[in-house]
Amino acid sequence: MKQSKFRILLIGATASMLMFYACSKNFLDKAPIGSLDQNTLSNKAGVEGVLIGAYSMLDGYGGAGGGWQSAGSNWVYGGVASDDAYKGSDAGDQADIVPIETYSSTASNGYFNQKWQAVYDAVQRCNDVLRLMGAATDISDADKKRIIGEAKFLRAHYHMDAKKIWNNIPYVDETITYAAGNYNVPNDKDAWVGINADLDAAIANLPATQSSVGRANVWAAKSLKVKALMFQKNFAAALTLAKDVIANGVTTKGTKYALTANMFDNFNAATKNSSEAIFSTQQSVNDNSNGSNGGWGDVLNFPYNGGPGGCCGFYQPSISLANSYKVDANGLPLLDTWNATDFKNDQGIASGTAFTPDVTTPVDPRLDFTIGRRGIPYLDWGLHPGNDWIRDQNYSGPYAPIKHVYYKSQAGALTDNSFWTGGVTANNYTFIRFADVLLWAAECEVEVGSLANAVTLVNQVRNRVKSNPSTWVKQAGGANAANYQVGLYATFPDQNYGRKAVRFERKLELAFEGHRFFDLVRYGTAADELNAYIAKEKAKRTFFASATFTKGKSEYFPIPQSQIDLSKGTLKQNPGY
Amino acid sequence: MPTKNNLLARSALLALFLAFFCFNAFAQKPVTGKVTTKANQPIAGATVEVKGSNTVAITNGEGVFSINAPSDKSILVFTVVGYETVEQTVGGKNSFNVTLSETTTQLNEILVTGYSAQRKKDITGSVSVVNVKDLKAIPAGSPEQMLQGRASGLNVITNGQPGTGSNIRIRGITNFGNVDPLVIVDGVQGSLTNLNATDIESIQVLKDAGAASIYGVRGSNGVIVVTTKRGRSGKAQITYDSYIGTQRPPSGNVFNLLDTKGMADLTWLAFKNSGQATIHPQYGSGSNPVIPDYINNGGNGGIVGSISAADLAKYNTSDFSKGIYQIVAANKTGTDWFHEIFKPAGIQSHTITASGGNEKNTYLFSLNYFNQEGTAIGTYLKRYSARVNTTFNIKNNIRIGENLYIFNRDNPRFNNQDEGNPISMTYRQQPIIPVRDINGGWAGTAAKGLGNATNPVASQVRGMDNKGNSWDIQGNAFAEIDFAKHFTARSAFGGTMSNFYYYNYGFRTYENAENNGSNSFSENAGYNRSWTFTNTLKYSNVFAEKHAVTALVGVEAQENYGRGVGGGSLGYFTDNVNFRTLSTGSSGFTNYSYAYINSLYSLFGKVDYAYNDKYLFSATVRRDGSSRFGPDKRYGIFPSFAAGWRISREDFMKDISWINDLKLRGSWGKLGNQANVDPSNAFSQYGGGPGSAYYDINGTSTSSVQGFTSSRIGNPATGWEENLLTNFGFDAVLFKNKVDFSFEYYQKKVNGLLFSDQAPATVGGAALPNVNIGNIENKGIDASLTYHGTANKDLKYDLGLIFTQYKTNVSEIPGNYFDAGGSRIGNFVRNQVGNAIGAFYGYKVAGIFQDAADVSKSATQDGAKPGRFKYVDVDGDKVITDKDRTFFGNPNPKFTLGFNVNVNYKNFDFSTFFYGSFGNDVINYVRYWTDFYPSFQGVKSQDALNKSWLPTRTNTNVPIAENDANFSTNQVPNSYYLEKGGYFRCKSLIIGYTVPAASLKKLGIEKVRFYGQVANLFTITKYTGLDPELGGSNTAFGIDYGNYPNNQKNFNFGVNVTF
Repeated sequence: MKQSKFRILLIGATASMLMFYACSKNFLDKAPIGSLDQNTLSNKAGVEGVLIGAYSMLDGYGGAGGGWQSAGSNWVYGGVASDDAYKGSDAGDQADIVPIETYSSTASNGYFNQKWQAVYDAVQRCNDVLRLMGAATDISDADKKRIIGEAKFLRAHYHMDAKKIWNNIPYVDETITYAAGNYNVPNDKDAWVGINADLDAAIANLPATQSSVGRANVWAAKSLKVKALMFQKNFAAALTLAKDVIANGVTTKGTKYALTANMFDNFNAATKNSSEAIFSTQQSVNDNSNGSNGGWGDVLNFPYNGGPGGCCGFYQPSISLANSYKVDANGLPLLDTWNATDFKNDQGIASGTAFTPDVTTPVDPRLDFTIGRRGIPYLDWGLHPGNDWIRDQNYSGPYAPIKHVYYKSQAGALTDNSFWTGGVTANNYTFIRFADVLLWAAECEVEVGSLANAVTLVNQVRNRVKSNPSTWVKQAGGANAANYQVGLYATFPDQNYGRKAVRFERKLELAFEGHRFFDLVRYGTAADELNAYIAKEKAKRTFFASATFTKGKSEYFPIPQSQIDLSKGTLKQNPGY
Repeated sequence: MPTKNNLLARSALLALFLAFFCFNAFAQKPVTGKVTTKANQPIAGATVEVKGSNTVAITNGEGVFSINAPSDKSILVFTVVGYETVEQTVGGKNSFNVTLSETTTQLNEILVTGYSAQRKKDITGSVSVVNVKDLKAIPAGSPEQMLQGRASGLNVITNGQPGTGSNIRIRGITNFGNVDPLVIVDGVQGSLTNLNATDIESIQVLKDAGAASIYGVRGSNGVIVVTTKRGRSGKAQITYDSYIGTQRPPSGNVFNLLDTKGMADLTWLAFKNSGQATIHPQYGSGSNPVIPDYINNGGNGGIVGSISAADLAKYNTSDFSKGIYQIVAANKTGTDWFHEIFKPAGIQSHTITASGGNEKNTYLFSLNYFNQEGTAIGTYLKRYSARVNTTFNIKNNIRIGENLYIFNRDNPRFNNQDEGNPISMTYRQQPIIPVRDINGGWAGTAAKGLGNATNPVASQVRGMDNKGNSWDIQGNAFAEIDFAKHFTARSAFGGTMSNFYYYNYGFRTYENAENNGSNSFSENAGYNRSWTFTNTLKYSNVFAEKHAVTALVGVEAQENYGRGVGGGSLGYFTDNVNFRTLSTGSSGFTNYSYAYINSLYSLFGKVDYAYNDKYLFSATVRRDGSSRFGPDKRYGIFPSFAAGWRISREDFMKDISWINDLKLRGSWGKLGNQANVDPSNAFSQYGGGPGSAYYDINGTSTSSVQGFTSSRIGNPATGWEENLLTNFGFDAVLFKNKVDFSFEYYQKKVNGLLFSDQAPATVGGAALPNVNIGNIENKGIDASLTYHGTANKDLKYDLGLIFTQYKTNVSEIPGNYFDAGGSRIGNFVRNQVGNAIGAFYGYKVAGIFQDAADVSKSATQDGAKPGRFKYVDVDGDKVITDKDRTFFGNPNPKFTLGFNVNVNYKNFDFSTFFYGSFGNDVINYVRYWTDFYPSFQGVKSQDALNKSWLPTRTNTNVPIAENDANFSTNQVPNSYYLEKGGYFRCKSLIIGYTVPAASLKKLGIEKVRFYGQVANLFTITKYTGLDPELGGSNTAFGIDYGNYPNNQKNFNFGVNVTF
């Protein structure tokens, strides 16, 4: 009796445990909740969504990397590293920019790693588009062409961003995956090969017009190719293509490329995506993203303490840049003597102490489109009060940036209040605007074409400002805020003069748009110009005390040490670091 | 298709099945008796057990029991906590009167280990027993905090914020992810954080494989087994435990900061040293700074004199549309921001417990109210909790019961260890700024030139209406059936349902340099649900009187599931507290939700064998299946073996009279860790929210189109982390049971450490899976020593010493290293192969450059200049580069100590407890803010003004005061911030008095004890910051980022009453 009960028990218990075991197989299958898998996305809607995700990295924010460290505008690497701007703010804030500004960076500087991560996150987002499309069956050939074109355009753009900063970079195409284990891509090959190929594919596949204004079209691709060719010093090919863009280029909406009458329309969220905008980030605010789709990359770069944005006083124009806008009696820039004397400023003067801005020295009207200075109207914010809007004038000088700043009337509507700063705006950053293409063409004409054509192109850019005096910054009474003069070049007497004039024009026109440092490196004049800049600025800015631009090294930034370490030495450091 | 419900149903069937077939009664001999103390007082609740079987009886209120003994040869075992166990052979008697004497050793103490209970002397694994009575002497909201120094091998680091979590580490840190031990409360996975300490009966810490491997894939961080009190048979007993007290923040100039004049002087000194003009928005532009009368008048600063009536009329801090106009007078002596935030604060705890029962059924019911105000204003923990534990003996061989704990907690907190928290703001806000402006509005850095800090009083006061609530139900129900003489089947179903709800309102600010542009509100809620279903079958028998065997097999299923939602909105029409709902905002509406699920299914078994109480063997095996791993890697098997030799029972030891008991033991086994794997680890996923993948492709400026991005790359080949543990130890009872000594040495090898795979950024931005790469080695010593002393009849004392030491080395990780411990100036920590976890890394300061000659003869260094740091040229290449960074500190203590003294003299009791951490380094990152003028323009330290280098003051380690920041000053992590972090603290000192029982009898009161307590009476340390007890993550800790100190003095008065 006892025995049999015991046996029943054992059998029962064992059976129960076995049953328990049998169903445990399903019990342990727990797929994640709230995400998508590859199969769900391997179709047209999914691929289009992933393509949007690839576009969303254009501003450098929202993926790997940082915010201001990886900004699409490159204000640190293209701006602060050049003679356009100082880091600004106070001495201690964003310490990692100081060595970038003084060419003493080490490879462990966190800024580089964040930018690098953002770039390659973006590149792999493009690759995801191409990979997922391979498995999709419901995409028409026309859509396929367009999607390939956009993905490769973006992939070229992102690589080029890295190429300008580091020169020796790995080219990562859609064959590089975690699963394949081939992600240790060396940086010993010329990345231009990949960039050129992707741009050619984009040109071959992209349509002229697009359903959405933010997409790349064939003309954006051709313009980006011009830029790539400029960096490769292939002026002949660049000229041909630039002429094509100038003659035939249209926006995604089919509008012919043209300079806007008001140059500042390029920097105003209300007038973005104009006939001049060839390719831009598309920033949006109050779109339920808690501000992260606004211009996060430039969020630090607003006047301090009561000014627009309220934070954080970075990216301040240099004394040297302000000097560049002085013109001669003909309204032409002082190509050789611009930096001999300093344009009047309120350095060392408290806001409560009287100060009259210089309204007599002739200056290019673009001065006050580019530099906020005391006593001059600052958009619709009233007169710039000087020191009060500057975080530490002793450290970083008297000027404030303007080009990415919003109008007071736009606060709340085209800015986002979700964060600690009002400086999250819907202002796009324009990677390529039509003026840029005109000036590339001018540069090519100087190098391999006709000086006369170069003069025409440069004057086309200058004339936009000259012929629209109503757009110049005005005092409250309606008079010009300063003695604005802008003239046209009659001729370029020789190639050297032409070269100098075109390059200076790029500086004036495109200052604070993140191009200057890369342009100087492209020209091959970075060491000379930047060491001259340091020599001049040293007396005013103590942080330049021991700065030197080292030729053959400082043209490119160090490959992030952590990336070299992670690649187990596959990545090689740039020379000199 | 079997589903979860199916699974539950089937398991329930199993339990029922057992119930139907298995209860049984055998022909037996009835035995009755009475259990008493030496003083002839009846002992209620004593266990009477037939040795080697599961036949058990409990004595009633009169100490009387009755039990059925199988035969005359049966041995009855009488056990009760606090008394020596007695064994008696039935030997034909029908009635026993047994006298138990009070325990002097804990050898017979019954300890709940994994899924079963054992006598301490039978244990072969490494188990630290916490003295729960001593533990409760620490006034804190969480038993976690009370555990510090109470168990060898256990380190606890806490901060002073009420309701805060603690870093609990058993035997050091052995991985880079989750190192929290598994906490089992009454058999169910739970948490210590919100338990009412008064409810706790016992806490055991399982440290080695021998003890913990029964928990398999969850056991590698060690296990803390908590058992809550149950009722005892006997008359109903009501107890009231209460204390009330006050906590006192540290006094004095805690950060050694400058006053208003000092800051003005330092500003001028820094400008002059940098060759800059002496001009400042507040201090004028003369050769000496002038302290103004007003620091803000409608945006203008530096006003000497009075404010005009016209300006006074412009004052406006309420209507943003008109433009803010503030008038702020200078605080010419200086605001003591720390003490504006930190105030004396109250603490109180009240517990009423009712318990009782009869031989069949017992109950315990307790209610607790705990209220700790933080010394930082606006922080507090209020908790209401209730516990109901019951047991019903349905038949002699069937018991059912339940444990239930419910609490509601209100606990708003701020981010500890954060540069933006109110504590950091007390050393970032300048003293010239008053708390309020002339009309009672908040004052702040809107006054020009005074940095970018925020007013911490304003942020705390504005946050008073924010709430952080949670309420939980935890518990389980169980049934136990004894059958077939030697078997016990037990089925338990339990779990936790935890809920949280918090909301925060952010004001639009006007008083700061960097203001919030809008008011805002966010509201968040969620729940976590976890259940565990355990079925075990236990067999125990004694063969030939000398071979004791216990075997246990079990099956367990666990599922965890949770969801959360939240949202935010902006632009509130009014700040009125009653208007604060999500839907009443006007813009910026956002929302989110999330969900997770994971499960565990396990089979386990354990065999204990003892020969003649002399040779002990134990073997355990557990097979776990976890949903966190891919199908091929889902199951893991975790064995362990342990052996013990009670050498004192050998004949050759008999003559050594000073050794009462000596046990050698050793264990080896394998444990797992699945905590460091995201439940989604095996899956490749795409996702992306508005911020990470949406984009305004249509150029609308105010909307974005949904996009996707690869969010995670899955790896189905990832498996659990394998921990191999070896443990040797001995337990000794010496000198007439006066000394208990326990010592153990262990080695832990983590193979296949779960670690996020490392790859260069070219792989993309998706989260890489955790993979089994990396090894960590950990060695250490745990020891405890207790001395029970009796000076005379009236004076008894106990001394207890707990010693913990570990050394962890990273022996392999992918990428060889990774950095952690981020700051404004980079990472302070590098976790690298061959080094300690959390080691501090950076440039080592050799000294200060004394002059130009010193600069030129030293290695080339960016920013080198007299008065700045000179770094050590580690690689000797005459240039200071990245390669000259080196390891310069170790945050791991060389050892930690807990020292407890209990003295009883007549009706008085005295106890004190000390805790010490020795040989650890810390980073005082506060000095980044206070010792360098350009590290944001907050208040600076007296060192910066009075000890900083000058050509005329060279004998100092504080660099020159200047308004420049670079590599050689404050821009890279270096050893300037390193300090000794060891400390020795008197955690508690208690004097109590128990009212003589005789005088209480007529009041119907059994016992009254009053006590007075001082907690944190003193801390001895070389650390110059607030408190060297600095938590963090387990990859970076011991860094002071603005830490809520845990060393504040606390004066309490308490009472324990038993009715």
